[in-house]
Amino acid sequence: MTNPIMTEQNNKTQSDEELLMEKLRSILLKEERQKVQRLETIVETKKNLSEKVDPIIEEHIQRLKTEFPDHYKQVVDRIVEQKIKDSSEEILNTIYPVFGQMIKKYIALQFQLLRESIDQQIKNTFSTKGVIGNIKARLFGIKTSDVIISNINKPIISEVFVIERDSGLLKGSASAVSTIDQDVVAGMLTAIKAFVEDAFDGGQQNLGMIEYDTHRIFLQNFPNYYIAVAMSGSISTTEKSNLTDRLLAFADKEINNTLFASSEESFKHISEQLEIYFIGKEIQLLT
Amino acid sequence: MISKKVILTGSFGVGKTSLFNQFIYSKFSDRYLTTIGVKVNKKTLEIGGKELSMLLWDIAGEVAQDKVPTSYFLGASGVIYVCDLTRPSTYKNLDKDIEYLKGIINGGIIKIVANKSDLVSAEDIERIKSEIPLPIDTITSAKTGDNVNDLFHALGAELID
Ligand SMILES: Nc1nc2c(ncn2[C@@H]2O[C@H](COP(=O)(O)OP(=O)(O)O)[C@@H](O)[C@H]2O)c(=O)[nH]1
Ligand SMILES: [Mg+2]
Repeated sequence: MTNPIMTEQNNKTQSDEELLMEKLRSILLKEERQKVQRLETIVETKKNLSEKVDPIIEEHIQRLKTEFPDHYKQVVDRIVEQKIKDSSEEILNTIYPVFGQMIKKYIALQFQLLRESIDQQIKNTFSTKGVIGNIKARLFGIKTSDVIISNINKPIISEVFVIERDSGLLKGSASAVSTIDQDVVAGMLTAIKAFVEDAFDGGQQNLGMIEYDTHRIFLQNFPNYYIAVAMSGSISTTEKSNLTDRLLAFADKEINNTLFASSEESFKHISEQLEIYFIGKEIQLLT
Repeated sequence: MISKKVILTGSFGVGKTSLFNQFIYSKFSDRYLTTIGVKVNKKTLEIGGKELSMLLWDIAGEVAQDKVPTSYFLGASGVIYVCDLTRPSTYKNLDKDIEYLKGIINGGIIKIVANKSDLVSAEDIERIKSEIPLPIDTITSAKTGDNVNDLFHALGAELID
């Protein structure tokens, strides 16, 4: 179907057209082309420029690096030292939640690894499902029952208190129920805590939980205050861990150094936030 | 609202709990006192237009102050040390006890109270005062209520200063 003549003609026409187009382009795009040319030279010059300038900057940086400590180290050291001295309590309160979080995660991980290695060992040693099941149940009996219990009796937070450690003075609270005087509860809790800690641990350990009937008070300690969480229902290890995470996050975000200034504003803020973070919440669902 | 922790202390039977109960209608049973050695209660006072919430810790009496767990005293802004006008043994170690307390509560206010004034004559009181190694701040009777309110209000006024 191809006609050679037609094709040649076509080719010729095409190349003519192209030439024409090229001319047209160079006329229309002359300015654009010039711009591109200019930019190219700028980039080129800059490159040249930076080749010349960089070593000088580098030298300055190096000199600053070596000389800065000599000139300013003492001054900086003194400022930092003074700052830490002035606010050691603040610093402690600020870093404590972070440390707590880190240590907790580390321990949790170690336990997880231990459990996995035990699991593996059991699998390797025994073959019958029944035997494994039995041993697993014994080894992790607490966990299994925790799961069963938590499904029946989900822990719900009813009251939360932020309490100054030594004085037992209330620094904020929230409650789903109207109970007896919260200042008094804070004081009594502190007394009970001090009593138990003095009596059994020589003051080195902190009381972490008070349990009675179907109620529990979970205590999370910080350097100079603690948070008491009252709840109904039983709490599993996972839920305890969830709660701790939430408490550390709360402490990190909502409790600052104004806490011990005993201002009404701080009391109000802490109380409002406690309500939002915890009250009426199912611990299982805390994130 | 300002909150302050105040501790009642002194030998067994001098009348600490009676002073506490005279001052505050107590909602809690004294059961706590014997079980954990302390009972906390609150009284809100109005002093010079300011509200003060006084958290009072009633400590189960011990013969010597250093037998009471130190942690009970920590963070206290005030201490009421009570002795019994009818029993010299309750005030013979007063100076030593006060010295000890000052060491723990650093900077807090300490009030020395001689209780059971209804049981002794005015002359006896004068004589006892001269026997006690430190000046007494208030002489009270938890039974008749004499000076009890004054005691707490005077302390309250100093606390909010
Ligand atoms: N007559 C009299 N008896 C008192 C007074 N204060 C306390 N008592 C009595 O002394 C005893 C011990 O009092 P209590 O308050 O338990 O002493 P605490 O051990 O220091 O708490 C009780 O029998 C009281 O009734 C007082 O001012 N006058
Ligand atoms: Mg008593």
